[in-house]
Amino acid sequence: MSTNNQMSELLSAWEETYKKGQLTLWVFLSLKDGKKCVDEIKSFVEEQSNQTMTCKSQSLYRNLRKCQHVGIVDFETGEGNKGPERKYYFLTELGLELLNSFIERNINLFFSKQIKNLILSED
Amino acid sequence: MKTITKNLLAFSIGLIALTIAFRFSLSTMLQNRLFGSVWIVATIYGILIFIIGWIFGKKEKMNLPLYDIGFRFHLATYIICNLIAEIWHLIGLQSEYENVRILHLTVIYWGIGLLIHFIIYLVTRKNAIKGIEKSEIFE
Repeated sequence: MSTNNQMSELLSAWEETYKKGQLTLWVFLSLKDGKKCVDEIKSFVEEQSNQTMTCKSQSLYRNLRKCQHVGIVDFETGEGNKGPERKYYFLTELGLELLNSFIERNINLFFSKQIKNLILSED
Repeated sequence: MKTITKNLLAFSIGLIALTIAFRFSLSTMLQNRLFGSVWIVATIYGILIFIIGWIFGKKEKMNLPLYDIGFRFHLATYIICNLIAEIWHLIGLQSEYENVRILHLTVIYWGIGLLIHFIIYLVTRKNAIKGIEKSEIFE
């Protein structure tokens, strides 16, 4: 196996594992941006992640149902563009607090000077 | 925790229909002294219950994975099967070869099993938030 091939396979394997835990963060970020229906959440996630994250509507519905059940997401119904009523999801107060705490503890680390330098350095 | 869901209701309706059909077949066969063939009806009944339990249990998990280690479906099965059997005898639809004592014993022994199931559920549900297992919420 060539070094390039091995590199590519290792990268895919790492990304696959890494992305599994990322969907919730992307969904919550899309809801922090404003109320959205599932199709809009899907578009937001795919566009904002430069297509590195993809998600099926069915998985999104399932995730949102679980989040709604535990009280971090809720929805209100509104008219869709083409006819039937749609569910527009939003973060509850608890959900927003949860997202902010998560970002503070797990994402803001990447903005520290030392880590930022390490990420940006070529060596 | 949301306990009575659409899938649990659908399973219960299917189970009621199957149990009434089973009771009717059982009593009719016994009354006609077809003792050697009764196991066939019982096996079919068992397999069909397993199938509808599998289908609606799987749907339930896909819809909302409530952590109850199958207790709600078990409880519904216990109530429906035993209630229909007891009512069947109470209104005199049983054959003359059926003994009501066996039904009462089934309620007791199965009830002990159900209680053990409930205790296991109570002990293990600490890993759940609002009825959903922690590891499943953000999966």
